[in-house]
Amino acid sequence: MDINGRNFTKFLDRQHKYDKQNNPEAAEKQHSKGKLLAYERIQILFDKGTFEEIDAFVTPAAIEKGFGRMTHSYGDGVIIGHGKISGRLAFAFAQDFNVMGGSLGAVHAAKIIKIQNMALKMGAPIIGLIDSGGARIQEGVASLAGYAGIFFRNVQSSGVIPQISVIMGPAAGGAVYSPSITDFIFMINKTSHMFVTGPNVVKEVLNEDVSFEDLGGAEVHARKSGVANMIYEDEENTLLGVRKLLSYLPSNNLENSPFVALPEPQKDIEVKLRDVVPDDANKPYDVKDVINLIFDKGSFYEISELFAQNIVIGFARLEGKTIGVVANQPKVLAGTLDINSSMKAARFVRFCDSFNIPLLALEDVPGFLPGVDQEHSGIIRHGAKLLYAFADATVPRITCILRKAYGGAYCVMNSKNLGGDFNFAWPTAEIAVMGPEGAVAILYRKELSESEDPAKLRKELAAKYRNEIANPYIADEKGFIDEVIDPSITRKKLISAFEALENKHVNVPSRKHGNIPL
Amino acid sequence: MKINSLLIANRGEIAIRVIQTAKLMGIETWVLKTSKEPNALYLSAADHVIDFSDHTDEILEFLDIEKIIRAAKDHKIDAVHPGYGFLAESPVFAQRCEDEKLIFIGPSPDAILKMGNKTIAKQLARKHKIPLLEGSLGDVKDPTEAKIIASKIGYPVILKAASGGGGRGMRIVENEKEIEKMFKMASSEAAKAFNDPAVFVEKYVRNPRHIEFQIFGDKQGNIIHLGERECSVQRKHQKLIEESPSAALDTDLRERMGKAAINIAKTVDYYSAGTVEFLLDSDNNFYFMEMNTRIQVEHPVTEMVTGLDLIEWQIRVAQDEPLPLKQKDVKITGWAFEFRINAEDVQAGFSPSLGVIEKMSLPKSKNIRIDSGIQEGAIITPYFDSMIAKLIIYGETREKAIQYSASALKKLWIKGLKTTIPFCKEVLNNSNFKKGKYDTSFLVKEMKIHYFQDKDAELLAAYFATYDFARRLKEDEDKSVDFGKGKSITPWILNKRMKSL
Amino acid sequence: MKDTNGKAVKDIFIACGEGKRTFEVVNPLDENVKIKGRKMDIQIFEDPDGFSYLIYKNHKYQVDILEKSQNKYTIMINGVWYHFSIETPISYKRRKFLSKSSSSSKIEKISAPMPGKILDILIEENADVKQGEAIIILEAMKMQNEILAHISGKVKKVYIKQNDLVMKDDILIEIERS
Repeated sequence: MDINGRNFTKFLDRQHKYDKQNNPEAAEKQHSKGKLLAYERIQILFDKGTFEEIDAFVTPAAIEKGFGRMTHSYGDGVIIGHGKISGRLAFAFAQDFNVMGGSLGAVHAAKIIKIQNMALKMGAPIIGLIDSGGARIQEGVASLAGYAGIFFRNVQSSGVIPQISVIMGPAAGGAVYSPSITDFIFMINKTSHMFVTGPNVVKEVLNEDVSFEDLGGAEVHARKSGVANMIYEDEENTLLGVRKLLSYLPSNNLENSPFVALPEPQKDIEVKLRDVVPDDANKPYDVKDVINLIFDKGSFYEISELFAQNIVIGFARLEGKTIGVVANQPKVLAGTLDINSSMKAARFVRFCDSFNIPLLALEDVPGFLPGVDQEHSGIIRHGAKLLYAFADATVPRITCILRKAYGGAYCVMNSKNLGGDFNFAWPTAEIAVMGPEGAVAILYRKELSESEDPAKLRKELAAKYRNEIANPYIADEKGFIDEVIDPSITRKKLISAFEALENKHVNVPSRKHGNIPL
Repeated sequence: MKINSLLIANRGEIAIRVIQTAKLMGIETWVLKTSKEPNALYLSAADHVIDFSDHTDEILEFLDIEKIIRAAKDHKIDAVHPGYGFLAESPVFAQRCEDEKLIFIGPSPDAILKMGNKTIAKQLARKHKIPLLEGSLGDVKDPTEAKIIASKIGYPVILKAASGGGGRGMRIVENEKEIEKMFKMASSEAAKAFNDPAVFVEKYVRNPRHIEFQIFGDKQGNIIHLGERECSVQRKHQKLIEESPSAALDTDLRERMGKAAINIAKTVDYYSAGTVEFLLDSDNNFYFMEMNTRIQVEHPVTEMVTGLDLIEWQIRVAQDEPLPLKQKDVKITGWAFEFRINAEDVQAGFSPSLGVIEKMSLPKSKNIRIDSGIQEGAIITPYFDSMIAKLIIYGETREKAIQYSASALKKLWIKGLKTTIPFCKEVLNNSNFKKGKYDTSFLVKEMKIHYFQDKDAELLAAYFATYDFARRLKEDEDKSVDFGKGKSITPWILNKRMKSL
Repeated sequence: MKDTNGKAVKDIFIACGEGKRTFEVVNPLDENVKIKGRKMDIQIFEDPDGFSYLIYKNHKYQVDILEKSQNKYTIMINGVWYHFSIETPISYKRRKFLSKSSSSSKIEKISAPMPGKILDILIEENADVKQGEAIIILEAMKMQNEILAHISGKVKKVYIKQNDLVMKDDILIEIERS
């Protein structure tokens, strides 16, 4: 339809060409691999009809003659733009695998950088949907420069706006560094991979045979390396998961987190909490049961569920407000802290601190995991990360000791003198320099070696130690615990404690930044 | 001597069962509390609880002979009932009780000892001309001897552990080529399981029916039988469903087998409750297998068809009273089934299903009896057996009993665990079982599938899953996220935040 | 659910069960639910503190969600459990594509995460296990730790027995992926 002469014809003509890019054959190419088109992913991520695309018609950069074909497509393989997610402004870029394998050329990178700049200016979250073969070989150093520009902005935005990466296809070589700087990485089982050096190079250099899936598939990163925080079985659920995660986060580091009202009123007293911790101190239980009973019903969103399962982290809501939860998991490795769990929790604590999300630590830790393996791999350094993260955090932080709190691990889990704002303990708490068995072995070494029935004596002494030294009331009387509480009123206590801390502010000494052990 | 106080050295449903009868008889009951199940139901059923919670030794609380006896003596308890399993068939325990003048509710230590050793039991049976499967006259020392005996009695033969059962140390040998290898395997398995590598050889009856007779004796020398039970529905030699009487027996066979059972018991001057196990082959020949010198799990079916309380009889006999009835006065009427409801996942090969019984709804009617040691909220742990309850049904005829059973199983609802209820339903669904035509190969050969599926069950389950999923999606969609609240920050804080950036 | 133009569309889900059995469910939250093309009248009664059940053709079916994780469910109905994964038409196509390509190695070894004593072995050779099921109780650091099967399959070999002492990374059992 020509309303105003030639210009409008050109306008409509170009629109037509653009629409043709998303033709059924293109769609089938992705669908037949179990993947969606970039455009389809954007539609699921954003609220219906709110996405506005920018720079849809940029064309790829010129290349040296003779170095392969160039597809003349609009957009250069990436869709960028803004829209609303659950009614809130957010920015995103989605790489299009159909265009030159989603590879990053100079223009493609410039688009991403453009949207990163915008997100930073507006103080709104940015989501990257990654589906790319990597740098565009034909464009040479311009591609690499493009990546560096993206990494630079990832770092500049770090701790200012939430950044989420969703790996929806391959991400190889340098391309993996942008996601690793962002706050959360989502991966999709079987159709997404991340690695620095691919199987071909591994085979060449080390003569090791390994498949894409086994080297850097979603399961590997969710379970073994901890690089992926969330893993889903298909794309729709992944994008819905991103929406869910965003509903817990503020838009930038000046705002407080959003509020989601309870569907129906929830009682503050929960008697079942009294029964969760078994009487036998050596029997495990699932700390997620405690979490689900304390927080708003169904509000717990776990992060990195499959990695370092001896610590549980995630977001939950208390009377509608987001709280970051860090909880030892007694069911796994007896809830000890080790390298992986320290790192997993430390990064999460740092994220919450950046974005004004209050923290709750649920403690049941018998210490650090012993072993040559751990010591030689630097548990000293990595354990200190969590200690640093808690101490450095200026958001409200509350600890509730459920059962064991021994030795250094007691300090690490946000103890009072580490700056914890409120420290509660359940009557089942045992706070001591070390476990009763170990303690009596040292304190009563002489008596035990002389005894006729050392096993029996040790049991008696351990019970005595448990009752007289390790009980939480001593800590309470000395002020290291603010209150020993009835487990059933935990929710009530936490609600009023967090309320009291709403306007917490701490002045930090001025410095460029600290030197967290890395 | 009258018993005024009784310690039950056992747990779960049998402890409750014994307590029930003791109460009716005006006897004070005592039980033992362990740290493994401090809130078990049997603890609240008894009058007194002795706390064994600080027990730290390797040996299980219920197997610690000296500790149990000391506890009984400390509290001046008259008698001890060992239940089944644990120390029920320990001649050492029975003897220790006798030494300490504690009345042991069960037979004499000598009877337990003799019948506990399969080889001795068989020798006694042979001496008294009770039908036996041909085999070695005692333990077989080596594979060569086994080969010689096997070729005499003819293949197939079975090698069995002399000191234990339950399928361990057992090997079926089809032909001469295999016997030496199988002997070595059976012997080493027996050594590991029962600390005794002794093995004996026996003719193997293919697909026999398992028929056992409940006998009862008193200290005055009277021994009678209270009918038979059929326990052919078994998995790996563990009984799952029992019935009384058996559809395989007619009056004549019952009389002959009953007599044989009594005669076995006579060889050791047996008193108290006992069970004589026979194998019945397809030609209705019966062979003595072994005698269990204790009250058995499946005793309720006998109680249902005889109207008697076997625990009461045990206590009376222990009090030196004679048996209340003579053989001719024992009347067997109607039919009873017992279904063992275990916390096992039938679909995963009967693997244990651990967890908490969140909710339990038991059917009630005059034909239904439920013996259970578990209440709602109980945790099924890996320490003790996986039995949740015994469902016992009585009917005027076998058909009626099956009918009532099917209906009771439909109404038995358990939430929180996987159970063997679908297995029991499938057994009742089987036409051969309904005709009473089955043997010990039933589970493996006759049942195509081991669990009963309602028509449309999978479809309804698929619907329910989809419903829940769709609902969750909708909830997430509908949930309104209020970003406004997050944007309204007090100037006090906003000021400070901006300054510190 | 609404499509990109805001029009209300039918909510179509495909519940994928064991083997190749699939159940197409249209409008599950609606009274007009159709399963496998047939309109079905099913009433749901849910009680989180008590029993939940379905009523269909005048029969009561006890029903429970044993496990749910994202779109994977294990439902128990009258004591029998079934696995399902709930797919949308798009994710269903994806599933079909993925199931055609071969999966990684069949045998999974489960090793000890730390040194300790085998308190109990809850499965035996040739038993079926489900992902997430507890298979071994390992006593370590004075605590009982459940070792879970991280895949579903059949137990091929059990290398340990009760009361064995194991070191970290000792192989405990082998499961053949199913």
